[in-house]
Amino acid sequence: MKGLLKYLSPFAPDQSGAASVLYDMGGLTIICDAGGCTGNICGFDEPRWFLRKSAVFSAGLRDMDAILGRDDRMVEKIQSAAQKLDAGFAALIGTPVPAVIATDFRALARMAEKKCGLPVLTVECTGTRLYDEGEADTWLGLFQKFAEDDTADRSKTERENFAAGGNRTEKRTDGGPERSDVPENEKQRTKDPVGVIGMTPLNLSRLDAAGMVREKLAGKGCGPVFCYGMRDGLETVRKAGEAAWNLVVSPSGLKAARYLEQRFGTPYRMAYPFLDEALTEKLRTVEGKKILVVHQQAAANEIRGEIRKTSEAEITVGTWFLLDEEFQEPQDAHLTTEESFAEFVAEGQYDLIVGDRMLKRALKDYKGMWLHVPHFAVSGELEAENAAGDKV
Amino acid sequence: MKRAVDSMTAGELAALGKERIPDIFQSSRHLIYSSPATLAFNSPGAQGFGVKRAGLAVPGSVMLLVAPGCCGRNTAALNALGYRERFFYLLLDDTDIVTGRHLNKISQAVREVVDSLEEKPTVVMICITCVDALLGTDMERVCRKAADAAGVPVRPCYMYALTREGRMPPMVHVRKTVYELLEKRPRKRTAVNLLGEFSPFMEDMELYAILRGLGVKEIREISRCRDFEEYLSMAEANFNIVLNPECRPAAEDIRRRLGIPSIELTRLYQIDKIHRQYELLGGALGTMIDDSPWYQAAWEKVEAFKAAYPNTRFAVGEWQNGNAFELSLALLRYGYQVTEMYGTVTPDQFVYIRKIAEKSPNTRIYSNLSPTMLNYDRGDSEVDVTIGQDAAFYHPGCPNVPWNQEEQPFGYAGLGRLFEALLAARGGQEPGEPQGRGKTAADQPDGISGEKERREKKIPGGSV
Repeated sequence: MKGLLKYLSPFAPDQSGAASVLYDMGGLTIICDAGGCTGNICGFDEPRWFLRKSAVFSAGLRDMDAILGRDDRMVEKIQSAAQKLDAGFAALIGTPVPAVIATDFRALARMAEKKCGLPVLTVECTGTRLYDEGEADTWLGLFQKFAEDDTADRSKTERENFAAGGNRTEKRTDGGPERSDVPENEKQRTKDPVGVIGMTPLNLSRLDAAGMVREKLAGKGCGPVFCYGMRDGLETVRKAGEAAWNLVVSPSGLKAARYLEQRFGTPYRMAYPFLDEALTEKLRTVEGKKILVVHQQAAANEIRGEIRKTSEAEITVGTWFLLDEEFQEPQDAHLTTEESFAEFVAEGQYDLIVGDRMLKRALKDYKGMWLHVPHFAVSGELEAENAAGDKV
Repeated sequence: MKRAVDSMTAGELAALGKERIPDIFQSSRHLIYSSPATLAFNSPGAQGFGVKRAGLAVPGSVMLLVAPGCCGRNTAALNALGYRERFFYLLLDDTDIVTGRHLNKISQAVREVVDSLEEKPTVVMICITCVDALLGTDMERVCRKAADAAGVPVRPCYMYALTREGRMPPMVHVRKTVYELLEKRPRKRTAVNLLGEFSPFMEDMELYAILRGLGVKEIREISRCRDFEEYLSMAEANFNIVLNPECRPAAEDIRRRLGIPSIELTRLYQIDKIHRQYELLGGALGTMIDDSPWYQAAWEKVEAFKAAYPNTRFAVGEWQNGNAFELSLALLRYGYQVTEMYGTVTPDQFVYIRKIAEKSPNTRIYSNLSPTMLNYDRGDSEVDVTIGQDAAFYHPGCPNVPWNQEEQPFGYAGLGRLFEALLAARGGQEPGEPQGRGKTAADQPDGISGEKERREKKIPGGSV
């Protein structure tokens, strides 16, 4: 039955994705809910919440607020908070309540901007979609609203170098499908900033990602790194036009990357430079002729690429989340229901599945091997060594 | 720039009175800050017993959450507590939440869930959320239809966060729901139910012994029912004792449907008030209760801490098994200082706030939910030990007693255990310090009233 989960728990919803992008941005993040959604977001989907403060609030909607559409009261609350707290902007995130009563977020934003004197971003989440869609809308909204034009031409030379050094989708020498990676070509190296889009704990299942990507890019001779969404705040979003190129680490960042490409001519490529050595080692020694990798698409593609370095196995990527045509192979699949997932696995006769172990619960008849790679948006599990905090 | 944190002293708040509670303490007047100190408020489903976990208090029950995926996301946190096989989800899409078409799918979903289980559940709880609150769904009708389709009882659980401050908040409603399957049975004079919590009270809670002393043979709590039959036998009780005010509507419903009356007792930490409450209970039951052994045992624990740490300064939060205001007042009356409190100020609390103001007008009261708590900085605040998980958040590194354990404290046993925990948190007995045995309430700076009076009256044993 469509929508019925008998074995799995719901994955992270769109509002969690939106809040995750905004967590380190330095604004007032207001979840337009009665309280429960905020608790879910902070208490379960945001591991940074236990480590450092962020201005995340519930609008505290009550039944009569929803029935009477008392937007003016919410604006008054935002105004009051804005007067007492340091914040560069406010963001309003939707939930099922405003979705049911059809809140006019654009009007709400205009009212709030006028009253509070702060720029207000709105993300119309409904709680029915998945986290990556909420993230995608939020990144796009942030760059549309805050990226400044006057920085747009600074990196023209570097962009030309990047383009000359290879496209974002390098062709495999064996004629196989494309695979993305952090740039290796000397010409792609630049002293101008590199933007990284798609970084949230929900996507990366780790809290030390900012340090990790900075280290890797520095090792390849790249300039400063804008880790949008993890550690870096609105200032870097404003300077997005300075980036020589953008590294997209999740399909949720593609919408924004394409927007920046269109607006500033900033090229992008998708890669996932977060596989640690232990996992890489395991991936190079896996056995099996048919392998299924289940994760968000950027991570899954990276895992596939790593396995292919030593294996001739037939590898399929399956994802419950966004599957972008530009980066998918013909056999890749979008997963939608528990039943179809079980059928897909049974038909595929896979020897090995690489993915979050929580998914095993939906595969009662699967007898093959399983290599656990946590996906926080699925199970709420971080990479083990990451639970303690960010090294940055 | 350092920004201010909204707060008031007890003296200032008491002077305003319950008719003029400032906006900073009214959650409907401001955004609600989300920090780890507010997790239990904003997401009771994730901590302790929220509606979802509470709804599964009936033995053998399972739950189908009918909601957008976001409402069930944190339920995975309950898997580790043994609920993995008891939660199911019917996820709503955008069309469902606008048209309500999901209501036509519930019967089939319940049937599929029941068919997938090796053992038929005793009841399927259907948990619905804000969406159905706004759609005005008639869940009684939906549940009847689903029960007919699946052949098992189906009951609704309302996780309506939108009605949190209404007449029937979600946690009040679910307390009523879990007793709705009880059907009338012949009453037994020797059976009593304890209502109010979803986990057992402390094994050494004196109320068990007191009731047994009164001739009660069966004391039932929903959390101790091993199977559905034992749960159903709660309908045999001669009377119910309500130990959490949120269970009043449930007790009233049981009285109306099954004819079982109830008595309400309050969780207190002021020892004389605990004693007074047992006096009143005895009066209501037409007997006298001798609580002196438990009184003495608890008092010795209070005194042991006092002897070791006589000038302790506390910060008291609300995320703990007690009323933050009553507990703070108790600590003040035992002779300690309460520097800070984090609590939800409502008119009902002014009975305590006024007394706190008399004893300690400078005790500073904060609201966990105020947006300005983002600016809270413990700075050089003078706190030696904190009580409550929220208080621990504000004072990291300070000795803390979370006091939010699942085993429910009550009465003298609760008071004694709290002071044992405080002693342990502060590092136990300091070398060379006396235990403080032999002191009485009259030795306290303000003398907790009741102790001396009780002894003078020489209240006899209460067994009947």
